[in-house]
Amino acid sequence: MTMSRQGVQPTEVIDRAAKLRFRWNGKRFSGFEGDTIASALAAAGEQIFSRSMKYHRPRGILTADYWDPNLMVQVGDDPNVRAGHRLLESGMDVRSQNAWPSLNRDIKAANSLLGRFLTAGFYYKTFMRPQWLWPTYERVLATFAPGGKIDLDTPHAYHDKRYTHPDVVVAGAGPAGIEAALAASSAGASVMLVSHEHSVGGHLRYSSAAADQAALAELRTALDASDVEVLTDSTVTGRYEDNWLGIVQRNHPIAVERLIKARAKTLVAAPGLIERPYVFEGNDRPGVITSGAARRLVNLWGVKPGERAVVFSANAEGDAAVADLERVGTEIAAVIDGRTGGSISSTRGSSRAVDAVVADGASIGADLLVVAAGWTAPTSLLNMAGDRPVYDPAAARFFPSDPPSNVLATGGLAGDAGLDGLRQHGAATGRLAAARAAAVRHRLQSRTARALPVDGDEPAWAPDERAPLGRDPHPELYRADTHGMVDMSEDISSKDLVAAAHEGYDSVELAKRYTTATMGPSQGKLETVNTVAAIAEARGETISQVGTTVWRPPYAPLTLGALAGRMFEPVRVSSIHPWHEANNVSIIQAGQWLRPDHYGDPAAEVRNVRENVGLIDVTPLGKLDLRGPDVPKLLSLLYVNKWMKLGVGRVRYGMMCAEDGVVLDDGVTGRLGEDHYMMSTTSSGAGGVWEWVENWLQTERPDWQVHVTPVTTAYASINVAGPKSRELMSGVCEGVDLDAEAFPYMTVREATVAGVAGCFMWRIGFTGELSFELHVPAGHGLHVWEALMEAGSDLGVGPFGLEGQRVMRLEKGHFIVGQDTDGLTLGPSTGLGSLIKLDKDDFAGKPELAWAADRSLPMVVAIQPDDPDVVPEEAAQIVRGDTNEILGRITSSRYSPTLNRSICLGQVEADLAAGGTKVTVLLESGERIGATVIDHHAHFDPAGERLRG
Amino acid sequence: MAESASPQGPAFESPVVRSYPASRAGDLTLSDESAVTKWLVRAGAEGPTADLLGAPFGTSLVAPGGALVLGSRPGEWIVVGTASDVAAAVAGLDGIEEQEFCSALDWTQGRALFRVTGTSAARMLEKVCGLDWSDHMTPDGAVVSASVALVTCDIARNDRDGVRSYLIFCDRSFGQYLFDALIDAGNEFGLSVAAASHSHSAA
Repeated sequence: MTMSRQGVQPTEVIDRAAKLRFRWNGKRFSGFEGDTIASALAAAGEQIFSRSMKYHRPRGILTADYWDPNLMVQVGDDPNVRAGHRLLESGMDVRSQNAWPSLNRDIKAANSLLGRFLTAGFYYKTFMRPQWLWPTYERVLATFAPGGKIDLDTPHAYHDKRYTHPDVVVAGAGPAGIEAALAASSAGASVMLVSHEHSVGGHLRYSSAAADQAALAELRTALDASDVEVLTDSTVTGRYEDNWLGIVQRNHPIAVERLIKARAKTLVAAPGLIERPYVFEGNDRPGVITSGAARRLVNLWGVKPGERAVVFSANAEGDAAVADLERVGTEIAAVIDGRTGGSISSTRGSSRAVDAVVADGASIGADLLVVAAGWTAPTSLLNMAGDRPVYDPAAARFFPSDPPSNVLATGGLAGDAGLDGLRQHGAATGRLAAARAAAVRHRLQSRTARALPVDGDEPAWAPDERAPLGRDPHPELYRADTHGMVDMSEDISSKDLVAAAHEGYDSVELAKRYTTATMGPSQGKLETVNTVAAIAEARGETISQVGTTVWRPPYAPLTLGALAGRMFEPVRVSSIHPWHEANNVSIIQAGQWLRPDHYGDPAAEVRNVRENVGLIDVTPLGKLDLRGPDVPKLLSLLYVNKWMKLGVGRVRYGMMCAEDGVVLDDGVTGRLGEDHYMMSTTSSGAGGVWEWVENWLQTERPDWQVHVTPVTTAYASINVAGPKSRELMSGVCEGVDLDAEAFPYMTVREATVAGVAGCFMWRIGFTGELSFELHVPAGHGLHVWEALMEAGSDLGVGPFGLEGQRVMRLEKGHFIVGQDTDGLTLGPSTGLGSLIKLDKDDFAGKPELAWAADRSLPMVVAIQPDDPDVVPEEAAQIVRGDTNEILGRITSSRYSPTLNRSICLGQVEADLAAGGTKVTVLLESGERIGATVIDHHAHFDPAGERLRG
Repeated sequence: MAESASPQGPAFESPVVRSYPASRAGDLTLSDESAVTKWLVRAGAEGPTADLLGAPFGTSLVAPGGALVLGSRPGEWIVVGTASDVAAAVAGLDGIEEQEFCSALDWTQGRALFRVTGTSAARMLEKVCGLDWSDHMTPDGAVVSASVALVTCDIARNDRDGVRSYLIFCDRSFGQYLFDALIDAGNEFGLSVAAASHSHSAA
């Protein structure tokens, strides 16, 4: 096989004025713009492009397109690139895969000598025993793994995603597909035409017939003038329920790949036909190519595939290949006609010879064997739509059976005709697709509030009145009288498949999985029908009787990057965030929120709050605006305590339990006006509580007059905490008396703060210090924060973060829902059992809580390690003595800079909950330490004097 | 009835705090309109409030005073515009509570608002939102709630001088993230950041 570049071809797609230089296995090569990697290498005379997966047999061009199993290469750090499809670029560093030390001298080719032992199921049978050796097997086998190399340091490329809702998607841009797209567009449909290739035209692109080229030019001109959106180098990878389509768009100007999720009202499947290899001994030898490969090489890239060819032809494509080869000077040594019983039995030859051995044993010297043995109908999209295509032995391929009515087939997939016939069928299909899409659109518009109103009834579902395409007779040519490769991606021969069938794997689905035939990068496009034929032959049955495997998505392999698309990771920040970022903050992500964890020294932040005054940004605290006369009833329903008599300006703590009595959330709610309340929730519970409230209102109490609006980030929330907080606030507040008696603990006031009206303040605090929790209209949050920092500069004001707050709330003994409680913690276990008012008529969780009231439950308690310097890990187990019997766990622990000792909260069995009880804590290290349960939650200021200040 | 939490005093701080380069090649623009006054009105889906505001669910209209009224959900409306326009639009709500339960609150501070304008605005939105932006399904005036770059948003198509334009509302805390996500989506179409088209009325 001696390939070379020829003179200019009228149909070529290369720009001979644009020379591109690249490297192939370290050596310098050149090609032209428009070349694929493979065509450029072929033009330079390269014959071997890869080594096969198992036997490391040398492999050359087979189909010269996307599906070619022999053209997988590494480009830079990009493995498994399809050299038959990827366009050449200047500076490409292309390397062969699966060969060592070199492509031409691959040591692992010794595997070929073991071929008769490496039969189907070899791995399953051989490496099962002894089981303990599997790790070794695994390591060794990994060195034989095919494919390219992944560089884990490669930056994540930009992958894009797009959603679209065209009326009609046409998958395949051959003459029928283009006509379908044009006709649908002319009928008023929005149309997306998807071409797997780099340009539209299908087989017309590499046809040298003048009529074909004229038609192609006409179709392209019409497309340019139409509203059809054309996607080239793109593939419809999957069809899902209700025509939800995955389309991968490769080499988009802004992204390596873009995944398009299209909801098409109708899908037109027009993928054409894929040429099927023929199975015979030596059919994978370099120099054996399909007729389509020969025609593409000649007509698209001006490459002469060989000097002397034998052509095995069973159809017009093979005949056309003969003409093309002769035109570029290839000597035709023989044409073996498969339609009249001719056959190829095997090949012989050296590195540059492919002598064809015909049925009578005669050998014909050549360096190229072109095979045109038939077609595979890529029915994948129809299968994905639920169709089960049927085999027609007279035409030697599968045809659509009964796809859903919003999926229409045209082109070669649907049948055979001359070019005019295909175009007419495509156009009729496009009109039908548009008519049906119009009916779907009418239905959608009439059902969608925002849509343009439609008049009249939904149009009738257009009947399919297309004249069916014919079916050209074709001989059933699958295997010669010798065995050869069926799946070149996986190195599966017909002999392997026959053996598998004889072993009992005679169902096509079983044989597929047992042998891995059709499971390689070609995804069955070249192999499926030959696989079925081999099994049918082994079973003594017909292809129809055996049936096919089910084609599932993806139609063509796509990368994980394409599936991942753009990495959307929403984050939330408060309006004070810029100040944090400018002030040495250490950020912690809590859910979607970016929150200040600390500003360098959380212990110092704690001390400053205890001694002076500190500010913390607590904007993520959930806030629900409640309005309406029935709010008290709602609060009484959702909280375990009573709410009917909360006065205006008062604030009350509440605990919320789910219907099973488990603690759901907690927080305070204040009454801002006669029918106006503000509920606060935990930061993490904000969304869940809103849904919980709405669920009750919309499903259980729709008659109640309550409107709930989440206003969490309508306010920037700042907790001003510390003994000097009142002094600080007095410098910035207007319109409110901050005196302890006028504005006592657990009350709320509206005020103007730092010139910002509409702020409200709660006299509450999580830290245990005198605190003012400010809620400032968010668009002024930063201003108020900065004003507080400035006003408090002589009071020692400083920021504190979540870590400092966690320490102080633990010193104070405030539990956190979800940390100190879990999915089984019932209300009374929190130690707030007195809050639960079982004498209320009804509230969420009441039956469970009534049941729990008489029972011994695990309890949340404060725990003091005996060694003040030991801080048990959170989740450390509390065990019975020296045993491993679990009696509880530490739920929160820190070292207290205020008390200079470790402090904990934990959950323990009821009989350990009394103050003074000694418990044993099992540390992660295995050490056991003593600790004592104390009789109240607060390690610090249990009387709450500082809080009430 | 229509009470306001909007403060008087210092300038309104937008959730978008980063600065962006000047305009680029395309006709697609993104502007930060967060300062625009936004009110949320809730009442029955049918009744005097619905009659007064006049924008059924999924649609929008310009109220006589000039405010834009969006029927964001059944029984829920967003009223957008200058402070005086919005005040005029919701003024009629006073007294309606005698007839039905109704509430209105100033949402200006809690919602970021962005406007995307340009012939390729729909193509840009296709990259961040799964809805059908065709003229049939989302005509000028349409209002919808959807995920935009994984953030729940209210979106209104509000064409400007015959050119596609969309108002996108989201929770304020997502504002900076979403603004950046929209810029990223619009880069392909030469998006540029434009000055806000509405006057600031919240401060």
